[in-house]
Amino acid sequence: MIGFGAPLVLAGFIVLPAIWWLLRLTPPRPETETFPPLKILMRIIRKDETPHKSPWWLTLLRLALASLLILALARPMLNPQADLSTGDGPVALLIDNSWISGPDWDARQITARGLIEDAGERGQPVLMAFSAMAPNAEIGPFETEAALERLEAAQPEPVSSDRNLALARLTEGARDLAASGGVSLALLSDGLAAANPLPTPDATVFSSVTLFSPAERRALALTGTDNGADAMVVAAARDPSQMEAAVMNVTAFDSRSRPIASAPLTFAAGEDTGEARIELPFELRNAIASIAIDATPQAGAVRLLDSTSGRRRVALVAAATADGAQPLLAPLHYIRQALLPFADIVEPEGDDLEAVIAQALDDRPSVVVLADVGVMPEAARTRLQGWVEDGGMLIRFAGPRLAATESGDDALLPVRLRSGERALDGALSWNEPQPIAAFPAVGPFAGLPAPQDVSVRRQVLAEPDISTPERTWASLTDGTPLVTGRTLERGTVALFHVGSDAVWSNLPISGSFVDMLRRLVRLSSAAGSGGDAAGGTLAPLRTLDAQGRLGQPPATAKPAEAETPVSFENPPGLYGVADGFRAMNLFAADTRFAPLEPGADWPTLTRAAYADTAETDLRGPLFAGGLLLLLLDALAVLWMSGALRGAARAPRRVAASAALGLFVAGGSVSGIDHARAQSTDNAPAAQVTEIDELAAIEAISQTRIAYVLTGNAIIDETTEAGIRGLSDYLASRTALEPGAPMAVNPETDELAFYPLIYWPIDPDSPAPSAAALQRIDAYMKNGGTVLFDTRDQLTSGLDPNASPATRRLRDMLAGMNIPPLEPVPQDHVLTKSFFILTEFPGRYRGSPLWVEAANAPVGDQPSRPVRTLDGITPIMITGNDFAGAWAADAFGEPLYATVPDDPLQRLYAYRAGVNIMMVMLTGNYKSDQVHVPALLERLGQ
Amino acid sequence: MTALGARVQRGDRATVLARSRARAALLPDLLVEARRIANIITPGWHGRRRRGIGEEFWQYRPYAPGETVARIDWRRSARDEHIYVRDLEWQAAHTVWLWADPSPSMLFQSRGATISKESRALVIVLALAELLSRSGERIAYPGAFAPTASRLGAERLAASLYGETALADQPDLSHVGGASDLVIVSDFLDEPEAIEARFAPLAARGTRVHFVEVADPVEESFPYAGRTEFLDPETGEKLTAGRAETIAAEYRALYLARREALSRFAQTRGWTHTVTHTDALASAALVRLFGLLSGEGSA
Repeated sequence: MIGFGAPLVLAGFIVLPAIWWLLRLTPPRPETETFPPLKILMRIIRKDETPHKSPWWLTLLRLALASLLILALARPMLNPQADLSTGDGPVALLIDNSWISGPDWDARQITARGLIEDAGERGQPVLMAFSAMAPNAEIGPFETEAALERLEAAQPEPVSSDRNLALARLTEGARDLAASGGVSLALLSDGLAAANPLPTPDATVFSSVTLFSPAERRALALTGTDNGADAMVVAAARDPSQMEAAVMNVTAFDSRSRPIASAPLTFAAGEDTGEARIELPFELRNAIASIAIDATPQAGAVRLLDSTSGRRRVALVAAATADGAQPLLAPLHYIRQALLPFADIVEPEGDDLEAVIAQALDDRPSVVVLADVGVMPEAARTRLQGWVEDGGMLIRFAGPRLAATESGDDALLPVRLRSGERALDGALSWNEPQPIAAFPAVGPFAGLPAPQDVSVRRQVLAEPDISTPERTWASLTDGTPLVTGRTLERGTVALFHVGSDAVWSNLPISGSFVDMLRRLVRLSSAAGSGGDAAGGTLAPLRTLDAQGRLGQPPATAKPAEAETPVSFENPPGLYGVADGFRAMNLFAADTRFAPLEPGADWPTLTRAAYADTAETDLRGPLFAGGLLLLLLDALAVLWMSGALRGAARAPRRVAASAALGLFVAGGSVSGIDHARAQSTDNAPAAQVTEIDELAAIEAISQTRIAYVLTGNAIIDETTEAGIRGLSDYLASRTALEPGAPMAVNPETDELAFYPLIYWPIDPDSPAPSAAALQRIDAYMKNGGTVLFDTRDQLTSGLDPNASPATRRLRDMLAGMNIPPLEPVPQDHVLTKSFFILTEFPGRYRGSPLWVEAANAPVGDQPSRPVRTLDGITPIMITGNDFAGAWAADAFGEPLYATVPDDPLQRLYAYRAGVNIMMVMLTGNYKSDQVHVPALLERLGQ
Repeated sequence: MTALGARVQRGDRATVLARSRARAALLPDLLVEARRIANIITPGWHGRRRRGIGEEFWQYRPYAPGETVARIDWRRSARDEHIYVRDLEWQAAHTVWLWADPSPSMLFQSRGATISKESRALVIVLALAELLSRSGERIAYPGAFAPTASRLGAERLAASLYGETALADQPDLSHVGGASDLVIVSDFLDEPEAIEARFAPLAARGTRVHFVEVADPVEESFPYAGRTEFLDPETGEKLTAGRAETIAAEYRALYLARREALSRFAQTRGWTHTVTHTDALASAALVRLFGLLSGEGSA
């Protein structure tokens, strides 16, 4: 709908008839020509035939022009914003900066700014509170400037709206101001109801309430995960305003933010909850650290998983010292091999059992395996028992030592054992070795197929008593228990009645052994029972921001108790330490979203939409249309007066000039971007499905450095010259002789051919489409590297905000899976792949070169470059304008001066390019140089 | 958009003379075709390559009985048995009347033209005067310059025209003799009937008239378009055409018909009609006139 800012101007339409009359009356002024043969002419023309009225179409054109001007002056607006000034008094703003505010935060800020400036024009103070703010944050009253500053500083927080505190404080603040006039409350909401219902604003304080709601709510959140038997089931909830069937994608990431798997997230029509099943092997599922909905940069769309669903740590303790020469006879060998795929193994070394067990428990394992440990030192036994009672899981294996032990009432055994073992297979025995009976339907092994190829020759026997059957988890075909277990307080004790090596039975070398151990480990309560991770006060480790990115906790984050709800001071994230943390997620399971509905008893309530999403000023197009008509009118007058008669002989020129006029006018309407936008619009439609063979052969017949076309001719030429200059330098300095630079368009071209794609960021060119970003993402995942150059080092220092190029880059990278980045550290392979470099200058210097962060160091072991994986950093970011420094003309003379103008800087820029190319082509091979001392030492030299 | 054509000031006679000299220098001496000339007693300087009254020896011929004895060349006759008469080469001058239209309609020059019509007319007249004077012909200008034979005829004609401030728009043809040539340089934009009425009496007198029509290119092509107000420089009349391009074809037809009528009028009387355009060089017309006057170009 269209509204007018100054509707009175529309009265100007009254003068249209007068204009029409005047236009009809006044002919265009004729061109006067001296013409000697007038007498001949007079025989043709009768004087009364001379038209003294404008042609009708010219009149129509001018009337249309006048109408357009009147319309434009009346300030027409598409979907006009309601008049926001609700009163003359002060304004109290309650702004939601919840997790869902990210997409329309700008609109919210614009609306708030408009309200603050309105109040400023009236000379009224502003109260301003945010739904996510520190309890003691200042809420005003502010002067206009201070309020605007605070508004600019505010940002979405990764928590749900909790408006009650803010409203209470606003009410309190407004009460002091109420004397100066009714305070109008503006509620800039995110449209979602909070957990606690919003109390009615105090009518004695607030004269009016304006409720702003976004036009479209896109709440979408993961509300729970369940690591089931065969799949990780992810529950999601969405906004009830969106009820059509939808399929999204969730991606699971490991602890280094590498995507592991993705699965469709399906919402049925009419349902506001959905489900995704990530079907992965158990080991991989354990590696999942977070799950996020694709292309939904919101804190709610990210679910963090802690170690309750992660890998267990298992401590292995054996009484017998392993004989290094005969590993197959070592008591722990088969257990270790069986557990390795899905558990972290801790194996304390030493002869002193007490010290060993203490050391094992210090590592806070989920499971402790005691292989053939009979008698334990009392201190170790007490501690172990305490650990089990706290939730630990103890798995014991029988053996000669255990069999020789008088167990008595050992609490750490599930059953009383008879002393000595039972031999089923011996020269003096009548018994045959016994196979294993089917596993009972209840118990940890339920559902596992009973192994047919396993036979037990020896075992320890349980002293039968009344509780033995229920503690029996597996038994032999003759009914004697094979595996027994029982719970001890919060923990579990399990006993294999056979040894952990292949002497007593061949169970440890069967596949069933692995399955059984896995079931048992799954039983364990994980998270290092008995450790501090599960309980107590945990410091924030890493927290989510509003866009759902995991990062350093903000300064306002506070330690969380076990039951602390997510709040502004406890944002969702990981709490604890790196080895043991608890994940706090934004939403509890079964969370549903509901729209924010004000109560019926609210003071005079106005509903409004946000400014940015709705109001479109139509003045520009109308004035541009008027200008176009004016141009046409001028052309028509020129044509009628014969001024174009010279051109009349060449009608093409007229057409060209008219077309030029139209183009200029059209350009002023929609900007030059129009043409470009069209071209990019068409691009995805014409997506290449098959690779153009000739182009492909051309691309791969030589190693080429590719660069992305921005559409800006100057940048593209500079880039092309830069890559060419670098190629020449590479050819002269290294064994690499690259082919001519290849310009690529990420929308259409196949990228896989190029080791490096140089991407100069041009904020003025149209942003690449999501499809193109996906292609880039895939390219980076598959081993390619993109070097983003924002080229703004010179200007970015002057601007406290991010430069447009940087913002564009951020927007682009937001749609990709980007690993954590760091500036090139001093020992990175990039610093020594060809030249020894300490910095990477381009045309400018000072901007760091960002690359994928290497693994975090473990202990005092240096993390780099030894631990760097074989991968090359898939992304590099700089602002130094490499291509500008590399660019050279046909004679090798540089095109652009470096800043500062230092020939050495250009040399270093080339060297940086060489190093980058070397890393691209040789990987981390140079990293091996750090091993040289160790290798030499090993060689005995 | 400025007008295509504009009125111009009268040309400086001295400049015009210099230009006409330059044109004239390109042509050989102009000899008015002798056979066309009846018995003219006015002596000229140039022999007419036939016997007649003159000073130079032309030929000896046998005496025919009946001739006056006084013409016998006794010295020659004494050499042999025949009696010879000594003939002299006929040296006679012819009178050529020249007239350039001075009317305001001539004071017009369009942007495509190199020179105004009036200037072109004067150049042709003075160039002819120069050529004729060089050849010893007598030149005259109706109302301004009596028939004169002088080597400096062109200068003197220019001087007399220069002094003449108010030239009649139409030539006074009463003094034009019968056996003379009349060169009328004009745009002939008057009604054809008026022109024919004016010149028809000359045919009776035996005067040979050469019409030289000076035309500006825009007059002929009529490239006007759009709403145009036409102004007659002669009468000051105005005429507005709503869309001039629509009448262009009709106008051109009329214009050319007028020219055709003039040409036919000349041809039926053995006269000539030459068209010169002000965007072309005057020499073309001058060469044609030269031919016509010397009898080489006409049938």
